[in-house]
Order: sequence, then structure tokens, then C-alpha cells
Amino acid sequence: MSVVEYASHRRVRLVSLAAVTALAVGVVATVAFDIPLDRIFTAGYVARSMEMAAPISLAAIGGLYAEKSGVFNIGLEGFMIFGAFFAAVGTYFAGGGGAVHAWAGIVFATALTTVLAVLFAVLLIRYKADQIVAGLGVWFIGLGLAPFTASIIWGSRNSPRMPGVGRLTVPGLSEIPYLGRIVFDQSPLVWLTALVAVGSWVFLYRTNYGYWIQAAGENPEALDTAGIDVNRVRYATVIFSGAMAGLGGAVLLAHSSSFIGTGQTMVDGRGWLGIVAYLFGNYNPLGAAAAALLFGGVDMLQGQLQTLNIDLSAKLLGLLPYIVVIVVLTGWGKTRVPASVGEPYETEE
Amino acid sequence: MTANNTPPAVRLEGITKQFGDVVANDSVDFTLDAGSIHALIGENGSGKTTLMSILYGLYDQSEGTIHVNGEERSFDTPRDAMNAGVGMIHQHFQLVMPMTVLQNIILGHEPVENGLVDEARAREDIEAISTRYGFDVGEHLDTPVSELDLGTRQRVEIVKSLYRGAEILILDEPTAVLTPQEVEGLIELMEDLRADGRSLIFISHKLDEALAVADDITVLRDGNAVGTVSASETSEEELARMMVGRNVLFDSDARETTIGEPVLEAEGLRVIGDRGLEKVSEVSLSVREGEILGIAGVQGNGQTELVEALTGLRTLGSGVVRFDGDDISAMSRRDRIEAGIAYVPEDRHVEGLVMEYDLVGNGLLGNQTIEPFANGGFLDWEAVREHTEEIIEEFDVQPPNPDTEAESLSGGNQQKFIVGREIGHDPDVLVASHPTRGVDIGSIEFIHDRLTELRDEGLALVVVSSKLEEIQKLSDRIAVMYEGEFIDTVDPSDVTEEELGLLMAGQRLSGEDEVSGDGMTEGEMSEGGVSEGRMSGDESSSGVET
Amino acid sequence: MSATDESGARSLLDRVSDRLLDATVLERFGIALASILTAILLGLLMVAAAGYNPIIFLNNLIVGAVGSERVLARTLRISTFFIVTGVAVAVAFRAGVFNIGVQGQFVVGGLACAMSILWAAPYLPSGSLGGVGLMLIGTVAAAVSGGLYGAFPGVLKAYADANEIITTIMLNFIAIGVVSWLITNPFREAGSTNVQTEPLPANVGLPPIVFGESGFSVVGLVLTLALVAVVAVVMTRTRFGYDMMTSGYQASAAVYSGVDAKRNVVATMSFSGAVAGLASALFVIMYQGRFLEPASIHTYGYDAIAVSLLAANNPLAVVPAGLLFGGLNSSTSYIQIYSDVPVQLIDGIVGIVILFVAVPELFRMAANRATTGGEDE
Repeated sequence: MSVVEYASHRRVRLVSLAAVTALAVGVVATVAFDIPLDRIFTAGYVARSMEMAAPISLAAIGGLYAEKSGVFNIGLEGFMIFGAFFAAVGTYFAGGGGAVHAWAGIVFATALTTVLAVLFAVLLIRYKADQIVAGLGVWFIGLGLAPFTASIIWGSRNSPRMPGVGRLTVPGLSEIPYLGRIVFDQSPLVWLTALVAVGSWVFLYRTNYGYWIQAAGENPEALDTAGIDVNRVRYATVIFSGAMAGLGGAVLLAHSSSFIGTGQTMVDGRGWLGIVAYLFGNYNPLGAAAAALLFGGVDMLQGQLQTLNIDLSAKLLGLLPYIVVIVVLTGWGKTRVPASVGEPYETEE
Repeated sequence: MTANNTPPAVRLEGITKQFGDVVANDSVDFTLDAGSIHALIGENGSGKTTLMSILYGLYDQSEGTIHVNGEERSFDTPRDAMNAGVGMIHQHFQLVMPMTVLQNIILGHEPVENGLVDEARAREDIEAISTRYGFDVGEHLDTPVSELDLGTRQRVEIVKSLYRGAEILILDEPTAVLTPQEVEGLIELMEDLRADGRSLIFISHKLDEALAVADDITVLRDGNAVGTVSASETSEEELARMMVGRNVLFDSDARETTIGEPVLEAEGLRVIGDRGLEKVSEVSLSVREGEILGIAGVQGNGQTELVEALTGLRTLGSGVVRFDGDDISAMSRRDRIEAGIAYVPEDRHVEGLVMEYDLVGNGLLGNQTIEPFANGGFLDWEAVREHTEEIIEEFDVQPPNPDTEAESLSGGNQQKFIVGREIGHDPDVLVASHPTRGVDIGSIEFIHDRLTELRDEGLALVVVSSKLEEIQKLSDRIAVMYEGEFIDTVDPSDVTEEELGLLMAGQRLSGEDEVSGDGMTEGEMSEGGVSEGRMSGDESSSGVET
Repeated sequence: MSATDESGARSLLDRVSDRLLDATVLERFGIALASILTAILLGLLMVAAAGYNPIIFLNNLIVGAVGSERVLARTLRISTFFIVTGVAVAVAFRAGVFNIGVQGQFVVGGLACAMSILWAAPYLPSGSLGGVGLMLIGTVAAAVSGGLYGAFPGVLKAYADANEIITTIMLNFIAIGVVSWLITNPFREAGSTNVQTEPLPANVGLPPIVFGESGFSVVGLVLTLALVAVVAVVMTRTRFGYDMMTSGYQASAAVYSGVDAKRNVVATMSFSGAVAGLASALFVIMYQGRFLEPASIHTYGYDAIAVSLLAANNPLAVVPAGLLFGGLNSSTSYIQIYSDVPVQLIDGIVGIVILFVAVPELFRMAANRATTGGEDE
């Protein structure tokens, strides 16, 4: 079965690339800067990397669903900005500093970005918008309107301090050295993300709906002649992708202390990282999550090195994820894109 | 055929379908008797596929009624048609390439258990169908469709329809992609299905096949049903007359040409295809002045890759291409154009024309470095316009307006324009890939005449086609390509259509008394590589018929 | 009035509206106009929803763009940047290459321009002749470095199949980060608390004609229009332009006609990046007189996408689109001072413009409905 072949083949490459990256970082670290690696890859670092990876994973899973079905949702970054912003608004108006308010914000953000995603899906599918241009539009709208509204609500593009969701600590198990902190003393949103990743893998490869999604992106006509409405499938995936990116933004907020609306906003390219993550993961939800973890790890490295008083400019270290993206895309250009991505589907003409 | 009281499986009455101003079907009546095979024949564009797409719920008819098994039905979607037991095997297979055979067969009709697809049950059901009709499909259930040859893909399509419970099967030009031997297998299968009580509609433009398999034959011309005849009471001549509306001459001019020096030669070519598989293995050829080398073969046996390697669109895996004796293996496409290698591409919508450009813009295509059109990097649009007007006049392109956008031209006129432009380069070699695919009869004759004239003027030509009549009519030598190799090179006057068919199916002719082309190595038998058809090419090719 | 009369009239209307809709130039103009008006209308609605007076806002928008000579100079200055960056985007989009990296190419070009002038200044005479020489050096440096920074993702796309949309966005982030670090550290003005380079020598700058010391020179506008004309000629009357446009319309036909697709992508990206570099040379020489913290520079390179799309990627049409965006942007300074409405709204409006431009079908249907009385299919 070639799907398995594909998967194993890809996994080998994924793991090897991740290993090479890690090794390179390790060698540079130890040789050039004389850094003790055990003090970098602490349990706290891995746990925080997972927190960082969660929003990217969610956006990536959403994006890959859309693209699998034939629609390139390049607006993930924009939806993430909206998600983070709406979560801040929701939490703020829920009025309090507890985890329950943070959760309210997450639910509110996901609901609202879903509504926006419906509008976006109508433009893409019903009105056959240029997917790339419209996606860029969503990004710019997010970059403009989120800080605009933030200024109106808080008098500043940044929000006041927001509560987080805390950690899900399993008594006893969390005492296990190393793993305890990573697995049993972890943000519930990381758990949620893992659940979404596994669930969306099963859905995509083991249910009839998953078959339809794959067929819609590869040969929509085949699906149509099998009696399934292609555009309905695509509506579902595009809306899902917007909702997941929105949830991702909300998770990002919950893992940070406040909404930041200056510059590229707090999302700061994570939506784009999400796209790269699913390309890197070859459209497989689990692969995408693994790639997101790589990006999360690279992202957190900056802080980790700083705590060790290693003198590398924060500004330059902060660019590491973007450089990794370019390296990954360049070494990974062979991803097979679904055959019908970007083409609107019409039944009769 | 059936004289009893069972209602006809399908009765179409007064079906009219308009696309904008174009009438694709004009009040067509059609009756399929239960348990029979009914052939629907007509030229490309005569409205066969449109009529059947209406029956299958893909299009809504503008007027007319549909009765299935005596009941009036109206199908909004294929699903409605399927629920009524109507299945259709499309000319372009409706298969999802990276998905497995099993997934393709059950697509849209998946058995579900606890929310997940119940593969085990699907497997049982499919195997039951497979064994009943002796299909080999059961062995490939976990293979991605992309790895199957065209004949197997077609059987997957048929199993798919049967799996969905089709009692009435529409087969749209099912033989177009098959070798003559595979066609025989298909005909047997159709007879088995009929014996099992199913009713079949067989769409074709091949008269002999219709006569061989069908009980009744309905002929469509320009969207009208010209008539329905019983297969046992008609002849090829009568059907041809009905199809074309006049007597057709199957003529072939005797040719007396002087053959000169080799112009384009290739030796030991190996070419890798898009998906990393070797598509051309050890091919050698030579074309001389005043000669047409025909390359025959079932679509997807490496012809596309071979032609691209000759014209500079694809890099060689290994081997040598020589032009006028010089090694041009590493020469770019640009330099080959300038050197005098002209190319009428396989797919005019994708390569030969820029659809959004007008004819002037298209007249420059390929000429953009050639004087007088280009001058030190700058373009002389006036010169291009004049040249375009010449092409239009000489090749009778309709409408004769250089400002027309390419996409608004008919297929035949587009093709004439491309041939005219390529000849306008004043080349030494012309490589023409499927030069008359999807082109009307008048233009076919025109293009054939021009190609033979060029041959007579001393040009060297390579013509690739999967149409045997065309290959036999034009070629001075025919090389038959199978799984990336020239399985044999034959003289068109010494070979029958059946023999060509056998060669195309990869079977060597017994008794090696056939001429072998000069410089052609026999090559070893194919190294067991999976034959895998290229779908992309043929998909756009016959897209004329909607 | 019989039914046939009515349907006759209907079909006449259909034909007229068809003809109107077929006229693609007119149609594109209409779509552009409709996109802008709808986006501004939505912006006003948001202003109203936020509790401000939309009429005053609209008034501020206009006064802030063309209300006085000073403001007009600012509008024209900003417009030149939008026009040149817009042309940079248009070139690439026309060729079917999505260069979202104009911002990064602008930033890299700007730094190269400023630093090359600063480095070369000691070796050239201080008079106006030396000034012209320095400006030429700076302009060439900007075009070359912008071109190279564009060529890089072009190479990655051509030879490693890396999606240029994503690589160029990443390279924008990287360019801003690295240039910012450079200006903060090695290239920082000695003793300054601001993140900026040393000022350019006094003999570098465009002559202040008509508008005085406003950071805008009519010479700059003339150079901009000349550049637009040159690019338009390149696109329509040269082989390079034909190859690029053909690749944009139908890449496979371009390859068939002898275009080396990979080299063409690199050439397009280099060309586009070089034009972006020219924009930043104008920015540095005419306006800033130095280079400064790139994160604080307006995102011309991103807005240029909207400018170009609005102009249907036609270099000539970029001029009016650039003027419009110049006006919109110019008024943000005014609004910031004279009203409480957060100016990020303008960025949001730009985003909405892009979104609408992406959906011509929306306006086509609306137009159909309007002309034929609402009963379409």
C-alpha cells in the first residue's frame, strides 16, 4: 500500500531532517559557544516548545484540510490574528482574571473566526475569488482591524494582562522526572491540540468524509460523479481551516500574557509557519504537528539561550524560525500538492 | 430487438440541450431496450456525450423527458441517476489517482461502521463482483490507481459502477485508450454484462466496433439523431454516410518521393518522465529529408517524452540527438527552434497557444528571437502582425481576424494556425504530435495535405499519433512504441491494421521478416516496468466534446 | 405590452450589459472603483460603529490628502513610493510570480543606498557634481541589492521549488530584523539615541522645486513617471517582457516557445526586486536623507500589492492607483493629529480593498443584477 510507503518514506526524511537540524544546532552550540546542552533541553524547555507549537499545529491542520480539498487558504495568518484578538476581547469582557474567563475567550474567538471563515468561504467558493489574493487580503485586514479595534477598546494596540488557562497536573505522575513536566504537568491546550491532531488524522484517512476531502482536491469531477457535492466539502474544510486558525490564535493568546497589536501583531508569522508545517508534514496532520513542534522548539531556543546568558542578539536569534522555514522549504520542495488546488469547481457549464 | 412487454430500460424523448447559443442536442429521441447493447455513434462534437450526461444527471436538459424502466425520471445529480440504477463510465476516467482502487470504487458509497469506513466489507463486496465477471481488479485493491495501466483503470471504473448497483451502463468511448486486444476483452465483458441482464449504451465513433458489439445503433450528427438501425441490417458504409452526411472516401495517395540525407537522428535515448520513471528506453531513430516517420502507439507509452526530448523540452537521461549531423543533445529549446526544428505540440490549449492572447500575440510565440520580429531585444509588432495575416490567409484560419483571441477559435482553426506558424519558421524538421486531435474533418484533410506537401518539398517530418488511419495514411515508415521502446519499425504498405494493433499491444510479429528501420536497435524486451498511462495528455485532447 | 416585447427589451438590456461587461478595461476600472468605494464605505461604517462621526472622518480623509499645499506635497511624496513599489509588484505578478517580498527588497535596497553613499562620500568632490555622482552610486547600489534580494527567492523557487509567497514573506521578516540589527549596532549614527544611520552629505538630495522643503521633489515624480514608462515599454515591446507576460498567462506555452522557465523566474524576481530597490533609493535620497529603523518604515511593499492589484498589474494603471493610496496614507498623519480614530483602520481598509479586488465575480454579479433587474441565473 503506497500510502504506507509514502508515510514511512516521508517520516524517514522528516526525522532525519529534524535530527540534522538538532545536531547542527548542537554542534554549533557546543563548539562555538561552549553551551551545556543539558541545560538547554530541559523539561521546561520542551514543555514550553510544545506550548509554542500548539497554535502553529492547529493552524497547520486547518490549512491542510482546506488544501487537501482543493482550496489554498493563505489567510491562516489573518485568521490567527483575529483568533488571538477575539480571545483577548472575550476574556476581557468575561470580566475576570481566572482560567474560566480564558476559556470563555477561547470559545468566543473560535466561534467568531468561524463566522468570518464562512464569509471567506463564500467569497472563495461561491464567488470564485482568487485564493492567493483574497488570503493576502485577510492577512492585511487582520493586521489593520485587530489593532484598530484594540485601540478603541483599550486605548492601545496592546491589551491589558490576560489570565491563562493554567496547567493540567496529574498528581503523582507529574513527579516523574523529565517526562512528568512535559506530559503530566502540561497546558490543557497542548492536550487539546494533540487530540485535534490525532482526531483529524483518523478523520482524514479512516472516514468516508476524509475520502471525500482527498478526492475533492485531487479529482473533484470524480467526486461529483460519485454524487457528492464538491463545493459542500470545500465549504466545510475552508470553514474548518478558519476555525482552527482562530483557535490557534486563541491558544497563542492563552499561552501569552496579553494581546500585542503592534508591528506584525503577536501572531508574527505563525500562520505562515503553519503553512510551511503542513507542507513539511506532507499534508498529514501528525506530520504537520511534528513540524510545528520543530518550529516551536526553534522559537523557544531564543529565550533558552538568553537565560543561559549567551550573548547572541535577541533580534537575530528571533529570526531563526524564519530561516528554518526557508531551509525547510528549499530542502523540501518536492511535496506533492493536490492536483486541483486553486481551481474553482463548477458542475455544469 | 426485444419483442416482449418489458419497458425499455431508457427512453429519451425530444431531448434538447443548449449551451448559450450552441445547440448541443436538438430534440433527440433515443430508446435503449432492456438487456441489450445500444451503440451511439457520431463524429466528435455531434452531441453524444452531452446526451448521455443528461441521462446521467450531470446536465439538465433544456427540453424533453427521460424514462427509466418505464417511469419518468428527472435526475438533478449523478447520485439520482445512480439511485435509479444508471451508471456511466466516462471517457476521461473519474478516478482519484493517489487513492487506492478500493477507495476509488467505494468513493461516495462507502460502507460505514462506527463512523469509520468499513474496508473489510467493501473488500468482500468488490471481490464478489470481481469473481462474477472474472475481473482482475480484486488483485489490485490496495494499489493506487496512478500505478495501473489504462485498461485496468477502465475495469476499475466498470467495477465502480457495478458496485453502485448500476443496471444500465453508459460507456463513453471506452475503446479510445485501449489496444485492439484490450478492446476485444472489453467487448467480451460487455457481452457478459448483457447476458447478466444489464443494459448498455456504448458511445463510439468507430463503426466496426459498434457493428461488432451492439444490437442497435443510433447515429447522431450535429446534435440531431439521424436514425436508429439494427446492427444486423446495416453496413459500415451506411453508418459512415449517416454520420458525415455525405460519402466518405478512405483514400490514400500513392507517394513517389525522393528521400535525402538524415536530418534528425537519435541514438540510445533514455528519458525520464515527470514522476521519475524511465519513460523512453533505448530509442534510436532517424528521419531523412522528404520522409515522414510515423510513431504509433497507445497513449502513454513514452511518445510524449520522446517528442519532448527531440524538441528540447525535456533533458535526456542518456543518448544523443543529432541534427544535420551535429550533436544537439545539450542544446536548449530556444536554440533548437532557431536551428530549424519546428514542433506542433500535443496539446494546443496548454502549449501551442496562449489562450488569452490574440492571434498576433500567438504569432510571435516561438519567434520572439527571430528577425524581423525581434531586433536586439525589442519587438517589431508590425512585422508580427503581417506574418500573422499571412498565416491566417494561407491556412484559411476562421475568422480571418488577427485581433481575435485564440480561445475563441474552434479547435480546427487553432490547429491550422499552429501548423501555419510552425511551418512559417521555415524549418528543416517538423515534429507534429497528434496533429489532428479534436479537429473537424475538413481541417484534418487540410492539415494532412499540408504535411504531405511539406514532405514532398523535402522536409523531414515526425508524426506521432494514436490514430492508426492517420499514421498509415501519412507515414513512409511507422515506428511502433510500446513501454518506452520502439518495438518494431514497419512499412505502412506491408502491415495490416491488425498487425499494428498487435504491435501496439506489445506483441512482436512472429517471423522477423519485417523491415527494421535504419539505425534502430531492437532493444531487449521491456524490463518488466509497470506500464503507466499518462492521463493528463488525453484529458485535454478530446475536451472538445462536452 | 406583450410578453415578447418585455423579453425583447430584457435581451437588449442583456446585450448592452454584456457589452459593457465584456469591455475588460472598463470592467477592471469599474471593479477597482467599486472595490475602493465599498471598502471605504465599510470603513466609515466601522468608524460609526466605534462611536465617531463618519462624516468628519471622511472630511479628514480628504482634507488630509489634498487640503493644503503642505499636505499635497506629502501625498505626492508617498504616492511616488507607492507607484514605484507598485510597479515592482506588478512586474512580478504579470509574470505569474508572487513577489510578496517587495518590502524586504525595499529595506535592503534602502540600507545599501544610504551606506554606499556614506562610504563613497569621502572620495567624491563635495559640490553638486559630486552629489549627482553619489546619488547615482546610491541608486545603483539600491537597485543591485534589491535585485539580488529578489533573485534569491527566485532561485529558490526555480531550482528548489520553494513556494515564493512564503519565502518572500520570511525574507521580509529577516530583512527587517537584520537591517534593524545593523542600524542598531555597526551602522548606527555615532552618539545618537535614535536607531538610524549617519545623515547623508548635504550635496545629496533632489532639488526642492515647487513644494519647497517638504521631502518631496517634482524631480522625484518625474523620475517615477519615467520609470513607469520604461517598465511599460519593457513589458510590451521587448522580448524579455513578452517572455515574462507569456509565462504569467500560460507557463507551459512560454516553455514551448523557448523560454527557460527557471531563468525567467529568476530574471523576473531580480527585475522586480531592482525596481523595489529604486523605490527605496528615492525614499532615502528624496525624503529621509538617511536610513532608519526599518520596522518603523511604512509597509509600502505590502500596500504595493493592493496598488498593483487595483491596477490589474498594469504598470501604467499603477500611477492612478498609487496616487489614490498616497492620498489615503497621507491623510493618516492628519487623522492621527486631528481625530481620535485609530489610524490602523486605514490598513484595514487597504486589506478590504485587496479582498474585494480578488473577487471580481462579486461585482460582476452585482452589476448584472443592477442592469437586468435582478433576475439572473
